[in-house]
Amino acid sequence: MTTSKDFMMKKVNSNHLNGGKMKKKKSISLISDFLKNKGLSRRSFMKATVATGAAVSVGGGMLPQMKALAAASASSGKDQGTWLPATCQGCTSWCSMQVYVINGRAVKVRGNPHSKVNLGASCPRAHLALQQVYDPDRIKTPMKRTNPKKGRNEDPKFVSITWDEALNTIADKIMELRNDGETYKYMLMRGRYSYMRDILYDRMTKIIGSPNNISHSSLCAEAEKFGPYYTEGYWGYRQYDVTNARYILLWGADPLAANRQVSYYSKVWGEAIDRATIAIVEPRLSATAAKADEWLPAKPGTDGALAVAIAHVLLTEGLWYKPFVGDFIDGQNLFVKDQQVDETLFEEKYTYGLVKWWNLELNDKTPEWAAEIIGLPVDQIRRVATEYGKAAPHAISWLGGGPCMQVRGGFAAMAVHALNGLVGAVDNVGGTLTANKEYTSKFPKPDDFMDEIAKKGKKHGKIDHRGRLHFPCISSGKPGGGVITNNAAEGILNEDPNEIKVAIAYMNNFSFSAPQPERWERALSKIPFLTHITTNASEFSWFADILLPDTHHMFEKWGYVKSHGNGHRHVTLMQPIIENVWDYKTDETEIPWLIAEKLAEKGFDNLLRHYKTYIDPETGKEPANEKEFALYSLKYATQQLWDPAQYKGGDKFNGWKALAEKGVWNSAPYPFKKRWGSMKTKTKQFEFYSETLKEALGKHAEKHTTTIDEVMKATNYLARGEMAFVPHYEEPYIMGDEKEYPFVHVDHKSRLNREGRSANCSWYYDFKDIDPGDEAWDDVAKINPLDAKKINIKNGDTIKLSSPTGSLVCTAKLWEGVRPGTVAKCYGQGHWVYGRLASKKFGKVPRGGSSNDIIPAQYEALSGASAYYAVTRIKIEKV
Amino acid sequence: MPRYAMVIDLQRCVGCSACSISCRSENNVPDGIYWSNKITETSGTFPNVRYHYIPTLCNHCENAPCVRGCPTGAMHKLENGITMHNPKKCIGCKYCEFNCPYGVIYFNWTYPHKSWKNNEKVLEGTASPKEEVAKVGGKTIPYYNPEREDTLAGIRPKGVVEKCTFCDHLVKRGKLPRCVDACPADARIFGDMNDPNSKVRQLLGKFRPFRLREQLGTDPHVYYIRDFNPANYQPSKGGF
Repeated sequence: MTTSKDFMMKKVNSNHLNGGKMKKKKSISLISDFLKNKGLSRRSFMKATVATGAAVSVGGGMLPQMKALAAASASSGKDQGTWLPATCQGCTSWCSMQVYVINGRAVKVRGNPHSKVNLGASCPRAHLALQQVYDPDRIKTPMKRTNPKKGRNEDPKFVSITWDEALNTIADKIMELRNDGETYKYMLMRGRYSYMRDILYDRMTKIIGSPNNISHSSLCAEAEKFGPYYTEGYWGYRQYDVTNARYILLWGADPLAANRQVSYYSKVWGEAIDRATIAIVEPRLSATAAKADEWLPAKPGTDGALAVAIAHVLLTEGLWYKPFVGDFIDGQNLFVKDQQVDETLFEEKYTYGLVKWWNLELNDKTPEWAAEIIGLPVDQIRRVATEYGKAAPHAISWLGGGPCMQVRGGFAAMAVHALNGLVGAVDNVGGTLTANKEYTSKFPKPDDFMDEIAKKGKKHGKIDHRGRLHFPCISSGKPGGGVITNNAAEGILNEDPNEIKVAIAYMNNFSFSAPQPERWERALSKIPFLTHITTNASEFSWFADILLPDTHHMFEKWGYVKSHGNGHRHVTLMQPIIENVWDYKTDETEIPWLIAEKLAEKGFDNLLRHYKTYIDPETGKEPANEKEFALYSLKYATQQLWDPAQYKGGDKFNGWKALAEKGVWNSAPYPFKKRWGSMKTKTKQFEFYSETLKEALGKHAEKHTTTIDEVMKATNYLARGEMAFVPHYEEPYIMGDEKEYPFVHVDHKSRLNREGRSANCSWYYDFKDIDPGDEAWDDVAKINPLDAKKINIKNGDTIKLSSPTGSLVCTAKLWEGVRPGTVAKCYGQGHWVYGRLASKKFGKVPRGGSSNDIIPAQYEALSGASAYYAVTRIKIEKV
Repeated sequence: MPRYAMVIDLQRCVGCSACSISCRSENNVPDGIYWSNKITETSGTFPNVRYHYIPTLCNHCENAPCVRGCPTGAMHKLENGITMHNPKKCIGCKYCEFNCPYGVIYFNWTYPHKSWKNNEKVLEGTASPKEEVAKVGGKTIPYYNPEREDTLAGIRPKGVVEKCTFCDHLVKRGKLPRCVDACPADARIFGDMNDPNSKVRQLLGKFRPFRLREQLGTDPHVYYIRDFNPANYQPSKGGF
């Protein structure tokens, strides 16, 4: 039995990268060691075992410490706990979960088997929630700053105060703005949210009277939504029907590790592999690349070139999907390299502008043209394109954040997503799908509670400058409709359009999670009164005047989120299922209620009166305190899911209690092809020539009485004229001189990142090596051995990575899984506050390095997204 | 009497280590000790490079070298095939650890979960780890699982070894081992080798399995089927 396996494993290169001094735990040898006979025969091994046992004397070992054993309690042999429903927000997969609770204490977690989205599966990061919720470094009471000086090197000298004092102080500051008619100087910053968000984010900000509710969304992936919106009119994340796909082409997406539906895709990937060829475009060998057929390590920022070259092959080879795209009237393929085509000769079905796209962009974008730009062989490009086309319509082009969260990523996002249109995978079996319908309700409107001060205040310009000429932020086709989160720092610093005097922020950490965070350190220092609602004292809290201890989403609060995958959408509830250990209160419900009560005491009761309209749908009672308010508002928002009298579709329940027990509502299955011919684009078709984008850009140009070409110029795009309306390739905008900064930085996420919040969990470090190439208890920059040799860097060296805007210190890891000329570094470590494990010295010295310290504050300005990829070059120095 | 075994389907496995992390909370395992673990390897040179992953755990060998070498009988076989350890009999000699060809037995060199005994807080308004545990009510760690005590010390003390028990405390109650239940990819299949209709027997009949270092004659009862990275490639006869 061993022979063929021995033979098989000989192919495994013996270059084992976990070796050497970086390995801190018990060193495990090569896979091949475990499968090869290393000279020992069965007989000799068993003999050796016994001999060792006999040769060592019995008393030679260490004395056991038996005291703890004696204390072992009598075993019951019975289940001591209950699995209770929950929701994980460790990433934005938003899986429905269950938590095993023993006497009010969380002990373990698993996926909720009732969900049709994550199907009972749970990815590894969910388990870390146990170490988050019982993190001793969570703040347990409200605190106030006693050092009036603010800065990174200023210890805030926080001291505990009562909730009453904290809330009174906050309400007083808001009342000052109200009394001075300066309510627009109030700002609300949102980080991780649930769909209870509007209570605090929208209603409270409006009723106080400010335009400045700033979400974190554009730090997330707004540019990713740009692709599907300006082709098929869908501003949102897609779900992919992987089990019915025949080809899965991923672009800078790593669904087995990070975002979205990691649990679901982990569950079915083994089946997807059987049916589909899987190829992945990514300069780093990712977790998903390890489970793919083909790895295309393209140069960062060149995805758009590869996408249009694939489109070129699909058209010249006649591989487009005719039942969706249509065909030449006489059936003859006129898509010939370098030749323009007469638009009238092609009859499109559910698409629009194919020939325009060909004539403007695709006709000369051959694999030969692309090969040099992207640094991949011509035959690989051609082969992938052909196989992808032959799999139509069950051929997914999977757009991740990589190709589009770049300065010129908007058109790459369109190009990558447009491939789905060419092969008819849009809204199709084995293709790319939008979100199913769900039936949650919005909270009551605030209008009647907005007085003159509020209405006047809300009319002021926003602090993030969205909608200005160089920041179109045309989300969902509306100029200035999207947020440009990271630029709010500039607004605050420059008091443009006005100063910010009072700010409340929750579950965000912009001075860690946003590129070039040093700008936020200065901006936050400038705000005279800043409240931070958070679980841990973070890099953001360091600049706050008041800290309020927040509940943990998985175990301690009422709320809900919705997400989609596996052809379904679920609405999954957050519920307080354990005993609160300390005096936490919930960010989006309890705290705004308590502030509203204080404002009412001080003579402004509009907010409290508004909140009192969130009545319990079961009893008709209005909320009397913050706890009732939290529960009633959730019941209010989800009534159509649980109230049989208001049933609209999907899972049916006989009342609130029934939904709360299961913890999740599932939609009906996905209605394939329903959107063919009725997409929310201007033409209702899938647009290869985007009339929708043309209109949006036109509106923006008109607003600024200028031309679309000027908008392109102001937003750092190269397209002029008609090119601005078709998916196309643009040379990436990468900062840093190539001579001084020889490497392109590649940022990526960890399987264990719970956004930026798992760095105080010991399991994060103990299992960090499950990210391919990474090391346990370390923070490494992965460098190709060829590059390392050139600059004389060895495995394990302490190194400094510097970009034109900053630097970080970490450990060098020589690894074959990165493209030469690039350096890959995982986001998540480098905290200098957050907790005893997250930082090396709390408040002072970071553990590892935070990628954002070297990423410049640049934007994909059409969507407002911050650029994280292909945005900067770096250099490496030994420390 | 059943004979328990596990089949790990490497094609289904996504290399996420949810098995190992969930094992930590089920068995109250301290940091640095991996009842459930993995071997990883990156092979090849850019751009022809692959990342490999094999989950590992105690193989519950039929001819368990750890049991044969144990001078006190602390490491022993249960009738159902599980290799079990009794810390009360353990003298901490570590012969089992040295004898195990798989590196899955760990010795407690220090007091387990020591960091939770720390008395310092990072800020005035936070708790010390010790205070946190006391307030939450767990034993030594706040997310302590008392059900582990059914068949073994809930937390193993300094000076003894510990390793995977196939979650015998759960199996006893008709539940699956935690890693099997927690695997998001359904890559672990647990069952009775003595039952010809069990899922493990079905899979072992369907795929040619391999086991780790099976030539040593330990008769491991963790079987691997299929391949972690089943990639297709262009057919070729090679050449010069």
